[in-house]
Amino acid sequence: MTPGWLLLIAGGGLVAGIFSAFKSPRVWLAATLTGAIASFSAAVWMLASGATWNWQPQFVIGGEALHLQLDGISAFFLILLSVLGGAATLYSSEYWTDKAHPASAPSGRAWWNGMLLNMGFVLLCANGLHFLIVWEIFTVCAYFLVTRERQRPAARAAGWLYLAASHVAMIFLFAFFALLAARTESWELGPMREHAELAPLFWLALVGFGIKAGIFPLHIWLPSAHANAPSHVSAIMSGMAIKMGIYGIVRFTGWLPTPDSAGWVVAALGVVSAVLGVAFALGQHDLKRLLAYHSVENIGIILIGLGFAMIAASHGNAAWGQLALAGALLHVWNHGLFKALLFLGAGSVLHATGTREMSRLGGLWRAMPWTASLFALGATAIAGLPPLNGFVSEWLVYLGLFDAVAAHGHAAFAAILAAVALGLTGALALACFVKVCGVVFLGLPRTEIAEHVHECGWRMRLPMLVLGAACVTIGLAPILFWPALATASAAWQPALTSANALSSAPLVTLGAFHLALATLVILAAIFLWQRVRQNGVSRAGTWDCGYAAPTPRMQYTAGSFAGIITGWFDWILRPQRHGHLPKGNFPAHADFTEHTPETVLENIVEPASSLVLRVSTAVRRLQHGRVQSYIFYLLLGLAALAILAVMGGAK
Amino acid sequence: MTAALDIFLRLVAWLLLAPLLPGIINKVKAWVAGRRGPPVLQLYFDLAKLWRKGVVLSTAVSPVHIIGPAMAWIAILAAALLLPFGPAGTSLSFRGDALLFVYLLAFARFCIALAALDTGSAFEGMGVAREVSYAVLSEAAIITALLTLCVQSGSVSLATMLAPSAGAGAALLAAGLFGVLLAENCRVPFDDPNTHLELTMIHEVMVLDHSGPPFAAILHGASLKLLLFAVLLAEAVLPLGKLTLPQAVGALVAAVFVVAIAVGLVESLLARLAFRRVPLLLTTAFLLCLFALLVAWKGGTP
Repeated sequence: MTPGWLLLIAGGGLVAGIFSAFKSPRVWLAATLTGAIASFSAAVWMLASGATWNWQPQFVIGGEALHLQLDGISAFFLILLSVLGGAATLYSSEYWTDKAHPASAPSGRAWWNGMLLNMGFVLLCANGLHFLIVWEIFTVCAYFLVTRERQRPAARAAGWLYLAASHVAMIFLFAFFALLAARTESWELGPMREHAELAPLFWLALVGFGIKAGIFPLHIWLPSAHANAPSHVSAIMSGMAIKMGIYGIVRFTGWLPTPDSAGWVVAALGVVSAVLGVAFALGQHDLKRLLAYHSVENIGIILIGLGFAMIAASHGNAAWGQLALAGALLHVWNHGLFKALLFLGAGSVLHATGTREMSRLGGLWRAMPWTASLFALGATAIAGLPPLNGFVSEWLVYLGLFDAVAAHGHAAFAAILAAVALGLTGALALACFVKVCGVVFLGLPRTEIAEHVHECGWRMRLPMLVLGAACVTIGLAPILFWPALATASAAWQPALTSANALSSAPLVTLGAFHLALATLVILAAIFLWQRVRQNGVSRAGTWDCGYAAPTPRMQYTAGSFAGIITGWFDWILRPQRHGHLPKGNFPAHADFTEHTPETVLENIVEPASSLVLRVSTAVRRLQHGRVQSYIFYLLLGLAALAILAVMGGAK
Repeated sequence: MTAALDIFLRLVAWLLLAPLLPGIINKVKAWVAGRRGPPVLQLYFDLAKLWRKGVVLSTAVSPVHIIGPAMAWIAILAAALLLPFGPAGTSLSFRGDALLFVYLLAFARFCIALAALDTGSAFEGMGVAREVSYAVLSEAAIITALLTLCVQSGSVSLATMLAPSAGAGAALLAAGLFGVLLAENCRVPFDDPNTHLELTMIHEVMVLDHSGPPFAAILHGASLKLLLFAVLLAEAVLPLGKLTLPQAVGALVAAVFVVAIAVGLVESLLARLAFRRVPLLLTTAFLLCLFALLVAWKGGTP
């Protein structure tokens, strides 16, 4: 069994899944899971051996010979795709059943497999034309998955926005690949770092892939699409689809030369995305929308690492660049794992309560202990806290930045800024996830819907357990994953040597420390628990300052919790506040609502597009079907040409 | 074997000495106010009593209410073990432990915050919201302080970062870190440990519903954190790594005493700030650390 055969099985499984999607959900599940396991094995094989798998049959599609390639970077992303794809597939078999969604579930399964298959092809394609084709199919499949609930206007609007934004990205990618093909006179992709004239093309790729990745301010499509898609789709969109944008940036900064300023721009975009992404997340009341903004934040963290790796690569491959790159790559995995876990957890809350509005929930841990614990695990990981995986990747990025500062080089000042921004981001993310866990799972149910809930079944629980276990494993034994990082880094920039980087990032010690910490934390919890039981427990109501009639609705809400921090970011969040203050000596009615809009979309993109529409409507008056006027236009045109010719001194 | 013994001795020292600091601060406050004040060992008595007491649990709470304080206590202790001690160095030192130190404290904050929100009380919600919001600014200040030490020493390991003094910018760094110390440990002017009005508290309101052994863990953890920040401040400013062991012990003890007295004096002489002013003061602490960084930068280039 070679990687080629494994990939064939994977492709075959996914295609078989498409055909069985309508008739037999069980066959679909088995075929898709087989495909995920096969592609996982192939990717692990390639990463472990460090070799590159190439397949160039004499098989022509669209006038170009097929060329599939699985190297370190492709395999690195393919592993994530297989894990998340497999987990979310199993999850969806209980979450989006034929019984509950007779109209949308069967076709949804087909689109699902289509998306997974084409994302896999994107990772494998080494031909620009084919890359564009499978990229477009994957984008369209995702559109149909986002709009599974077409009857809701919000879902239709989100799908439309996603489709529009993706096609703007597509235009940039068309330009990028077409210009690349024109200058190299071939659609074949591969390392061409010596062609310095290709460097300016980087900017096209950055915008095209950046829209898909959700870099601030190109993220406008992301929050509503992730919030309105079914949760298993949100998980794969946030965990993997936006990583395809990162894959594009990593892939083509590795293969093509980049302009000198590229690394600085990427790092700056990373800082902006990280801090503002989490600030917007704090302003949200919708659980899934909040998680979506955290994707912007984490993409920012990845870009900070990648940006500094690019700066280092263009200035003599300093060792700190290797650390920053390792951190960025590991964060790709980590974010995929914990964000998928969180979205699946949010899905199980939505499944049980039917609402994404956090302020209507509360106290869910009683009925949903599994979901609550796994969500809390994911929250600890995404807040970048030891001993879990989020900390390991952020720690690697930090090490890169601190080394850049200590080196007193040209990047030191930027690294200082980035390190402080990363610290801010971490603390803000912590605040945000304290809010989410506290408001949704702890305390008392705020409304009736939060009282009558049920825990999800094992097919929804198992994928969350697998993802949670992966988060814990990377956190406790990060050294096991170093070879994968080293292989992917070497595929990105062969000049980067990984041997000395490992000695400057003592992952073995960190892993041992994490293991000891985790053990002690569990032991201490058990010890304190037993002590409490020994001393005796009596129950009483929560202290309410002597107030006689407290109700669960008096608990702190998500909005009030985040109020201090969203106040600091008022200048960009532009929250809309409505309400009536209590008036008079015996106030009868008062209310207050606060809503944080998607500022970039509503204050920049929408005014700009309505201006374009207005100008185009005005211009359209020129076209009215009167032949006389058209002849007049012709005359005017000819006259203008004549004047130009005379002025230009024509003979 | 010696390594294990070393860790054990350090652990015992941290655990036993930590509750002393709040006692000293209270003594200073009493002395300024002309009172006799509680004995210096008061917190030890309190902890012993709480450890034996029964627990009153709110009907709303989940297991997090008890697990949270235990986890936070371990995390703070682990952070304390990472701090070196002058010429004796540290038993656990590796590249990047400075960042682990910061994030362990963040993990402790996460656990305590969840344990507080668990009660479903609006007061506790308020306290947690303030705690995690102000922590954003103090974390930025700590990272900047670490960057200063990193520029100064060219290292990312606490043992080498804290061995020399902070150089020319030491005064700035000390002022900045002192501000962070006051904010992170909820002292005046950021918070008042003695206040009795739930609406205006930060840390105290988060632990309103805790009692018995979990409350003991929280109190002991808080005193550990205070000692840890005092030691960090002292080691950042003094060149302990260049002294002999007895000198270093003397200097460290004296410096921690000075910090405790300073906290007590601030608490006696200043009123607490209005909440809207707190971010400004924390930003000042951050800026002080940033200026220390710039000074270190200038001084560091050959």
